[in-house]
Amino acid sequence: MADDLDFETGDAGASATFPMQRSALRKNGFVVPKGRPCKIVEMSASKTGQHGHAKVHLVGLDIYTGKKYEDICLSTHNMDVPSIKRNDFQLIGIQDGYLSLLQDSGEVREDLRLPEGALGKEIEQKYGGGEEILITVLSATTEDAAAAVKAVAK
Amino acid sequence: MLSIYSYHLGNQNHHLQFASIFWQTLACSILTALLSEFSSSSKTSNIGLSMEFHGNCKRVFQEEDLRQIFLLTVEVLQEFSRREHLSAQMSSVFQRYLALANQVLSWNFLPPNLGRHYIAMFESSQNVLLKPTESWREALLDSRVMELFFTVHRKIREDSDMAQDSLQCLAQLASLHGPIFPDEGSQVDYLAHFIEGLLNTINGIEIEDSEAVGISSIISNLITVFPRNVLTAIPSELFSSFVSCLTHLTCSFGRSAALEEVLDKDDMVYMEAYDRLLESWLTLVQDDKHFHKGFFTQHAVQVFNSYIQCHLAAPDGTRNLTANGVASREEEEISELQEDDRDQFSDQLASVGMLGRIAAEHCIPLLTSLLEERVTRLHGQLQRRQQQLLASPASGSADSKVLDDLYEDIHWLILVTGYLLADDTQGETPLIPPEIMEYSIKHSSEVDINTTLQILGSPGEKASSIPGYNRTDSVIRLLSAVLRVSEVESRAIRADLTHLLSPQMGKDIVWFLKRWAKTYLLVDEKLYDQISVPFSTAFGADTEGSQWIVGYLLQKVLSNLSVCSSEQDLANDTVQLLVTLVERRERANLVIQCESWWNLAKQFASRSPPLNFLSSPVQRTLMKALVLGGFAHMDAETKQQYWTEVLQPLQQRFLRVINQENFPQMCQQEEVKQEITATLEALCGIAEATQVDNVAILFNFLMDFLTNCIGLMEVYKNTPETVNLIIEVFVEVAHKQICYLGESKAMNLYEACLTLLRVYSRNNVGRQRADAPAEEEEQYQDLLLIMELLTNLLSKEFIDFSDTDEVFRGQEPGPAANRSVSAADVVLYGVNLILPLMSQDLLKFPTLCNQYYKLITFICEIFPEKIPQLPEDLFKSLMYSLELGMTSMSSEVCQLCLEALTPLAEQCAKAQETDSPLFLATRHFLKLVFDMLVLQKHNTEMTTAAGEAFYTLVCLHQAEYSELVETLLSSQQDPVIYQRLADAFNKLTASSTPPVLDRKQKMAFLKSLEEFMANVGGLLCVK
Repeated sequence: MADDLDFETGDAGASATFPMQRSALRKNGFVVPKGRPCKIVEMSASKTGQHGHAKVHLVGLDIYTGKKYEDICLSTHNMDVPSIKRNDFQLIGIQDGYLSLLQDSGEVREDLRLPEGALGKEIEQKYGGGEEILITVLSATTEDAAAAVKAVAK
Repeated sequence: MLSIYSYHLGNQNHHLQFASIFWQTLACSILTALLSEFSSSSKTSNIGLSMEFHGNCKRVFQEEDLRQIFLLTVEVLQEFSRREHLSAQMSSVFQRYLALANQVLSWNFLPPNLGRHYIAMFESSQNVLLKPTESWREALLDSRVMELFFTVHRKIREDSDMAQDSLQCLAQLASLHGPIFPDEGSQVDYLAHFIEGLLNTINGIEIEDSEAVGISSIISNLITVFPRNVLTAIPSELFSSFVSCLTHLTCSFGRSAALEEVLDKDDMVYMEAYDRLLESWLTLVQDDKHFHKGFFTQHAVQVFNSYIQCHLAAPDGTRNLTANGVASREEEEISELQEDDRDQFSDQLASVGMLGRIAAEHCIPLLTSLLEERVTRLHGQLQRRQQQLLASPASGSADSKVLDDLYEDIHWLILVTGYLLADDTQGETPLIPPEIMEYSIKHSSEVDINTTLQILGSPGEKASSIPGYNRTDSVIRLLSAVLRVSEVESRAIRADLTHLLSPQMGKDIVWFLKRWAKTYLLVDEKLYDQISVPFSTAFGADTEGSQWIVGYLLQKVLSNLSVCSSEQDLANDTVQLLVTLVERRERANLVIQCESWWNLAKQFASRSPPLNFLSSPVQRTLMKALVLGGFAHMDAETKQQYWTEVLQPLQQRFLRVINQENFPQMCQQEEVKQEITATLEALCGIAEATQVDNVAILFNFLMDFLTNCIGLMEVYKNTPETVNLIIEVFVEVAHKQICYLGESKAMNLYEACLTLLRVYSRNNVGRQRADAPAEEEEQYQDLLLIMELLTNLLSKEFIDFSDTDEVFRGQEPGPAANRSVSAADVVLYGVNLILPLMSQDLLKFPTLCNQYYKLITFICEIFPEKIPQLPEDLFKSLMYSLELGMTSMSSEVCQLCLEALTPLAEQCAKAQETDSPLFLATRHFLKLVFDMLVLQKHNTEMTTAAGEAFYTLVCLHQAEYSELVETLLSSQQDPVIYQRLADAFNKLTASSTPPVLDRKQKMAFLKSLEEFMANVGGLLCVK
């Protein structure tokens, strides 16, 4: 874990993140250790000795790859937090494992992969069944991924 | 069966006197097994005895055979104790018999006429005290028996295993009470004898580690079980030696316990023994009218001193001292889950604090001088560090040992002071302890009030630098010593030395100030017979002193909040102090006169650093305090101004954000999200501040927001954390306010909640999220919150303080003409929403499970008429949930389900439909409840709920009930049992034939049911 103690922001996400005091982070929130956006799945505090200052220990999962990050340091330190955006787009097609999404501007976006696992199957099934569905796209740093699906409200 | 046992017993008796070691061992094993079999139903082997039979056997056994076994054991032990040398084999037999004696003395004597429910409850109790029946008088009051156990212990005390048993035997004998004593005289004799034996055994020996816990239990039992008048009736010299011995042991165990902590032992035997003895002290001194005044003072001084000594560093104390000098303790990682010392050691501290009050003359000045001396040293240390830093900023962290030692000393001194000066009460107004009040009054004639006020008002100066400092009130001087610590801390913060300070000490200070302020600040003279003049002058209402202190405390809060955003616990304790200052109107009146309070309000409203860095729970509490402060007494203009500063900015900022034209596009921007989150958090804080006299204003204020929040639900439908927070706002508002709302206001809230649920449902039903475990938890959070919301709304049916909008009078356009939405609509809509999302897996979360059952029981109780109208699927899953709750959940859930059955069955009876699904379902429940009552061992607390449900179900399904009884009877082969059962069932329904739903009959039935349970309940209940 030693190399994880180094928390430089990756180049890619520099503009899409902002610093936040560690103690203000929350479970289920997001951070960018080493340039990768992570969801915080575990957070706990401790101190060294009775009169020590608070330290925060956190475990994050990369929101795109699922890789685990772990780290501990003083709670006064800052960490980079990604600007997270979520937007809904209508699904108008699936091609070669990529989604075709209709944007508000009328343009079609085709650079997002069909997610793996249950969510991907659900999307394929619903789309195949002729349902009109919305895909929620989660954007953090400069990466996007489909994060949820639901039927268009009638 | 018993007679067979007895027969064996007789034979064994015969054998034992002459038998070889082998036979003795065998006999002892048989007796041990025999005892286990009879002792309690939970130990009985699975041979299918009914509870009732077990109870009867046990009673017969304890009167006759058990006593025989005891006498026999005593004989064997006597034999052994007379021998000079024991071979290894002999000694092992000895040990077995000693264990057997312990088993007999720990016997849970069953009183006559105890129903089977009680037997189970009785037998499950821990820490059995020895309360035999009268027939044991000869066997136990013979002083030779007691002496034998002391002799045995002296003989084997170095063998730690055997010593456990012999000490346990003595501890049981020390708890002897009940009908065995014919009169008080015999009790006094017994006690005097026992104490003599005890003192002879432990005086002049060095106690083994393995003896500490046992000896402390003996003493603790003596003090708890024997009444005060018996204690004082023993020869006074003997009693004095006993108390001296207790003092000596307490101090010595305390020292050993401290050593155990240093050595980090796993098994903290001395700590356990110390805890027990300190607790005994509390029991002993609490009821002190039996002892002459001052009797305990010297002892209290000794125990108090030794406690302080163990917790201070050298040279004043012995903390971390081992035989080889000071142990260098490695700094370990302490997790946030580790309890704070003030909670972990609260029992010890409460005892020590109590002893400190008894010996106030000694202890208060002692604490003062120890604290004052350490403040001076701390101040010096910090100054030196600052100069070092200025000279070479890069010098980094020098050795922190000196500072840490000081912090640890101050930490313990403040904790003890806090427990000594004030009690921690919940809900009630804490009073100044009478010992403290008396102490202050006693010395008030020697006290110079002005100097006292000067000492109090100058925390920045050394106490000893003030002329005449020795003629001050000691209690106030002790408080001012803590204020001096606090002042050093505040100055260090201002000098940018926060990194050198101890957050733990910071917590101790605000914890102490809060505890102190609750008890002493604006002391209410009406609550006391007499009041100390220094107290009323320094902290009374309308005094400069109290105004000054309030100002000082506010400054402290501000100073802490400016730097402690990274120290959650410290921030939390700090805002708790703030809440204490404003939660009572009298104190709040002073608070709002302080400029710093207004600054705090403005700063918080502007959401600027450092306050906006605080964690969300802290911000909520801060908001709560600010709102509470707004209800202090002020003129209309000031009040207007206050709300303009505190609440209006919140509204304005919020409206500005959400009314932007492109809000839906901007809503995901980080600044916007933060603004929204901060507002929602603040709303929760405002709701938390609700009190009966401010609900009108707060409700109207919050209601405007709630409507807007629903719009937010739509905008942030993709952002689970925001959705969560929005629901939480509704939960808080409902939780804090619904009980005060009159009809029309309540309806406004119902409508808002209904709309919220509709939007939630539209956005979430049929929604699939990425399947990360964290997402699942968010969903679970949503469900839990919605259930809480529904339960809160329903609670109006139970707890309603509203007087048809009394508090809103003048604001109402008149009573609402037609109810557009009822609580039932909202709740059933919510249930429709929740039921499909519930699963057996989700019920594994205990909080969710309890909340769910609480909710469905409420619904069945309040709107039984709505249940048959539910869609079929929902109805089925509801019924299935009930069955599941009755059969395979905790007893708490089972009770809830039983409570739900009665109104459902009553509903069926009212509707008079014999083919409705609900009717069919209740028939099934009849069988379930029948089995539960007649065939299973179940919780006594449940009898009433089960009985009521049972009766209503019987009324509804009389034919089926008769059938159940018939089936049960026909399966009985034993004619005696058959007859008893048949009679019992006849009697059960005799008072209510034919059963009808009528309160009188129901009560009669419940009474018969109790008899029924006592009579045959144990008959069919097989373990």
